[in-house]
Amino acid sequence: MKIMTCPINGARPVSEFFCWGEIRPMPDPDTCSDDEWAAYVFNRNGAPGVKKEWWCHTASNTWFIAERDTEKDVVLNTYLFEGEIR
Amino acid sequence: MRLPPVHGEWIDRSKIITFTFEGKTYTGHPGDSITSALWAADIRVLGRSFKYHRPRGVLTMANHDVNALMQSTERLNVRADVTPLVDGMALTAVNTFGGLQSDKASILGAFSRFMPVGFYYKAFYTKQLFPMWERMFRTLTGLGKVDFSSPRVRTPKNYGFCDVLVIGAGPSGLAAALAAAAQGAEVLIVDENARVGGSAGYIGCTDSERAELHAAQLSEVQAHPRIRIMTSTYAAGYYADHWIPLVASDVMTKMRAQSIVVATGAYEQPSVFRNNDLPGIMMASGAQRLMHRYAVKPMQKVVVLTANADGYRAALDLAAFGVEVAAVVDLRAQTKIDPSESESQVNAKGMRILKGHCIAEAIAGKQGKSVAAVVVARLSASGEAEVAGQETIACDGLVMSVGWAPTANLLYQAGTRMRYEKSVEQFVPDVLPAGVFACGRVNGVHTLTARHADGRRAGSMAAAHAGFGVAELIEVAAESECPTHPWPIISHSSGKNFVDFDEDLQLIDFHNAVQEGFDNIELLKRFSTVGMGPSQGKHSNMIALRILARLTNKEPQQVGTTTARPFFHPVPMSLLGGRGFTPERRTPLHAKHDAHGACWMPAGVWQRPEYYRVEGQSRLECIHGEVAAVRTSIGIIDVGTLGKLEVIGPQAAEFLDRVYISKYANLKVGMTRYAVMCDESGVIIDDGVVGRLAEDHFYFTTTTSGAATIYRELSRLNTMWGLDCGIVNHTGAFAAVNLAGPRSREVLGTLTDTDLSSGAFPYLALREAKVAGIPARLMRVGFVGEWGYEIHVPANQGVALWEALMAAGQQFGIRPFGVEAQRLLRLEKGHIIISQDTDGLTSPLEVNLDWALKMDKPFFVGQRSLKIIASKERKQQLVGFELAADFSGTAPLECHLVIHKGEISGRVTSIAYSPNVGRNIGMAFVTPELAKQGTQIAIRITNGSEVKATVVRTPFYDPENLKQKETT
Amino acid sequence: MISSQPLSPIHGLLEAMHPLWSSETSEAKRVIRIDQRDEERAAILGLADLSHQNRAGAKGRGTAEWLSKLGVTIPSQANSWCPLPSGGLVARLGNTEFLVENDATLVEKIMQTQRAPGVYPVLHQDAAFGLCGARVNELLLQTCNIDFRMLDAQPSKVVLTSIAGVGITILSKTNGKYPSYRIWCDGTYGIYLWETLAEIATELGGGCIGVDAVQ
Repeated sequence: MKIMTCPINGARPVSEFFCWGEIRPMPDPDTCSDDEWAAYVFNRNGAPGVKKEWWCHTASNTWFIAERDTEKDVVLNTYLFEGEIR
Repeated sequence: MRLPPVHGEWIDRSKIITFTFEGKTYTGHPGDSITSALWAADIRVLGRSFKYHRPRGVLTMANHDVNALMQSTERLNVRADVTPLVDGMALTAVNTFGGLQSDKASILGAFSRFMPVGFYYKAFYTKQLFPMWERMFRTLTGLGKVDFSSPRVRTPKNYGFCDVLVIGAGPSGLAAALAAAAQGAEVLIVDENARVGGSAGYIGCTDSERAELHAAQLSEVQAHPRIRIMTSTYAAGYYADHWIPLVASDVMTKMRAQSIVVATGAYEQPSVFRNNDLPGIMMASGAQRLMHRYAVKPMQKVVVLTANADGYRAALDLAAFGVEVAAVVDLRAQTKIDPSESESQVNAKGMRILKGHCIAEAIAGKQGKSVAAVVVARLSASGEAEVAGQETIACDGLVMSVGWAPTANLLYQAGTRMRYEKSVEQFVPDVLPAGVFACGRVNGVHTLTARHADGRRAGSMAAAHAGFGVAELIEVAAESECPTHPWPIISHSSGKNFVDFDEDLQLIDFHNAVQEGFDNIELLKRFSTVGMGPSQGKHSNMIALRILARLTNKEPQQVGTTTARPFFHPVPMSLLGGRGFTPERRTPLHAKHDAHGACWMPAGVWQRPEYYRVEGQSRLECIHGEVAAVRTSIGIIDVGTLGKLEVIGPQAAEFLDRVYISKYANLKVGMTRYAVMCDESGVIIDDGVVGRLAEDHFYFTTTTSGAATIYRELSRLNTMWGLDCGIVNHTGAFAAVNLAGPRSREVLGTLTDTDLSSGAFPYLALREAKVAGIPARLMRVGFVGEWGYEIHVPANQGVALWEALMAAGQQFGIRPFGVEAQRLLRLEKGHIIISQDTDGLTSPLEVNLDWALKMDKPFFVGQRSLKIIASKERKQQLVGFELAADFSGTAPLECHLVIHKGEISGRVTSIAYSPNVGRNIGMAFVTPELAKQGTQIAIRITNGSEVKATVVRTPFYDPENLKQKETT
Repeated sequence: MISSQPLSPIHGLLEAMHPLWSSETSEAKRVIRIDQRDEERAAILGLADLSHQNRAGAKGRGTAEWLSKLGVTIPSQANSWCPLPSGGLVARLGNTEFLVENDATLVEKIMQTQRAPGVYPVLHQDAAFGLCGARVNELLLQTCNIDFRMLDAQPSKVVLTSIAGVGITILSKTNGKYPSYRIWCDGTYGIYLWETLAEIATELGGGCIGVDAVQ
């Protein structure tokens, strides 16, 4: 099974994690159009490639960012969120 | 026939094992496989083939075929060639009618003209006739009978860890292990055989130099402190990041390696010629396993068919064990200038060698059940058997050594790109994934000394990859001869020249398939079923590929291979099931509920009392009794499964305001408020109660099933928002009960000094106080619609609290009540249960929670979506309904549909008979036009009839909510 | 009968074994020994309940400083632990959460002290077990997907992972000839985890033991 590296707890089997999904910037809910808002809420990017995702190491409740190439199934980088998406 | 003791044999002659096969008794020794014992007893027919029920014997002796598939009393799918013989085994062949010797279904062979490849898809279409065909197939097919009374066996699974995993303990694998261990790595070697050594243990062992080399390597490996060995264990597949299931007879180990060396060797390939499946015709390596491992003479008089040095080696080995070598038939017209050492030795011994010849067909003996002679012919330039000058040679066995296909299954699964290497006429690894290394025959290296070098190279690289030492640069000599013949396939007008022995596929079947248009490897596989039998193409896929290449004028590289999927050999379900870990959560009061006769029900991972059994009462009577206790006096329910979270800090209120739909910044210290959480699409995902302990400190509850998910998601949101507050999950840390009923205040009053008067402790208030000396958080809540208190205490004092309350409530007949009673009580009050009365699309507006929705907050999750939803036409509304007071008949159930003018206009979400209201009450979604009070609605029940109900306002019971709160 | 002492999450399971309980009321009630074969089992694979020990915890960015001010010498690295002079321990779970155990004075002090900014008190009601004996690693290999060679190499390390499907905290207390580990999990999983580990321990030739036999 795949290995995912938690920035705090190190390399662990992927069964210790929960993948929330791709980080998607939220449009301004006060000013965007209904269509823009619906696209944000319901649409997801299905194309393979490098994605930045929210992951949680459930045993320690550590949330972090993983950069993953979903086409090659390679985890490129994992790091703690620090105020901005790198 | 059993040979005299062979050096290095696996059998223990000092003990005798007795077993039966097809009703007859035989003997063998510990260390024998079932087949080796039978072959030693001169039994030649071990099974019947799948389709034509032809007699079959030893073919590969390596679990690359299932000619000898048997059933014992306890087990199905016994592969006799590789299953250890055990005293008392009672075995039968599968797939026979009337026994192995006189299988009546062998008549099918005569009808083979009418059963060409793919005939199943064409012959049984008639709808009327299909039931008959189905019955026939069910009788005729199947490889064994399931015994439904077999005991269920659970075996533990283990995890395992190593630095370098070497798969295969042949010469290259052992060399790899030694090289890796020398660089400091912890090495694990696995091999499916009972002993290590691989082919070095049976090819050329009569050569004393080779035998010494082999023994030296073995002892070095066994002595090394950093090398572990697991025999009788196979690597069942390759999974991400070097995760390999290692399967032994009674345990599966999930091994994580830092790097792996695939030294799995190669599958010896058959030659295709008429009647090549007669018992007595086998791979050369099969014959050598019989001789060297089990001291069994494979035949008396042999013809050796070869196209490489290994065949000549086999001829020498056979002769050394007393087998008469009638001829060595070499498919190659001429070898290169220098014959191999083995060929020279064969020459020197004066054995007859026929170069540029092939086997045109094999001839069966009188009973038709084993080979009695072979017809040798000159091989034409186009690969056909020349008719002129054919010679029949009498023999009772033929060994084939015409080529190898790499055992590359795990390499494919790891994502290796393979290429067809013409110099060795096999696929070899071209681009390997990081951390995966290959050596030996699977890597196209066949000469023994080269395999040692190749193993050292791969082992060194694997150790370096795992962080031990530096990869040594090792040159591996190229093969001086090609070990594999690219076309050992001889056509015959009468057919029965088999390619896939599992599936009874002949050469003509491939011609027919391609002719029908199934001319690429994926289609060919599925139409012909080549490689889809129990050995999954180990002895047949490469030949099929060669045939397809020739028929479509392509190179093997262009044809490609199909996907080799796990598992490498079949894995018993009991090993996969393992122990089966199913975590369960229990509240601290579990034993108390047991003592009160709780009937348990699962609630997610928790166990909760559904109701409490009272002797002589039905389930419904018990539930109604509990409900009555709460309404008239006092009841107590364990609500310890609720999620319990705390948010602390200067921005705690701001945080709650962002995640819930209501306002909490304005919640007074010491008060609680109902809380509804939505997701970004405005759908309700959870509800609970928020209490304010201090300006910067909130204690809030979630649903039982939502707790872990909500805590996790709230943690993510705050990671993202970075508000100055922290979230703590105390779900398991607190025991909690709900004490409810008209007597609740009185009973609680005896256990606490806190002022419980309405003024001091109003409805919805939150207080910290001692109850029975235990520090507690108390909340006045209204879920069941009676005066009541939710009491939270540290978990390790939950039992003490329960006992104190039960004792104090004794005089009022306090009763514990369960989940079912609570569901009825809340229904009487018209309170929703999330995911019972809401679904994956329900917004707060549809369930009359408009009052809780504070759209004027600057931001909360789901706000924008709710704005959009509010502006659209409402599709459904949750309403209360009741059946007539005198209703008798089958009441509707949850999910029964509301039908209006022939259309689906809603569904029931909750329904139950209420003793307090005196009728069936419930809640349902209905279209807005039906939502007005007094509307008659029709609910269709299971048998299609309709039940009439009336939409009414809720609460059904105590509509003014007088019982749960202050009246002034 | 009203029990006045706090109970272990697995109290019922312990009672059913009719063990020898501690008698002093000044300390938390615990199982001293199961029977006379405790030491025999402990040498092979002993499972002991240590839930009764006092503990306090807190988390948040201000916790390290807050605890230091209270006189606690905290581990400097994330996911590590160090012993307390009293015989207890302080564990740093991840980066900003701390658990103090088995030091009555210190635990009391922590629970009574007002929290500071960035300090969020955590109430600990864990099921806490001790696992010791020659065959402990075989049990861990059946239940946990962590390479414990790592813990043997770094004895001060704390690992947050899962065993038999339950989230746990584990650290190594090996200082004798047999491996010895401490495990904590949410108390509501205590019965399940104890029964699961006890079954495996018994199969491997060990079983449940009292606190006196813990290595």
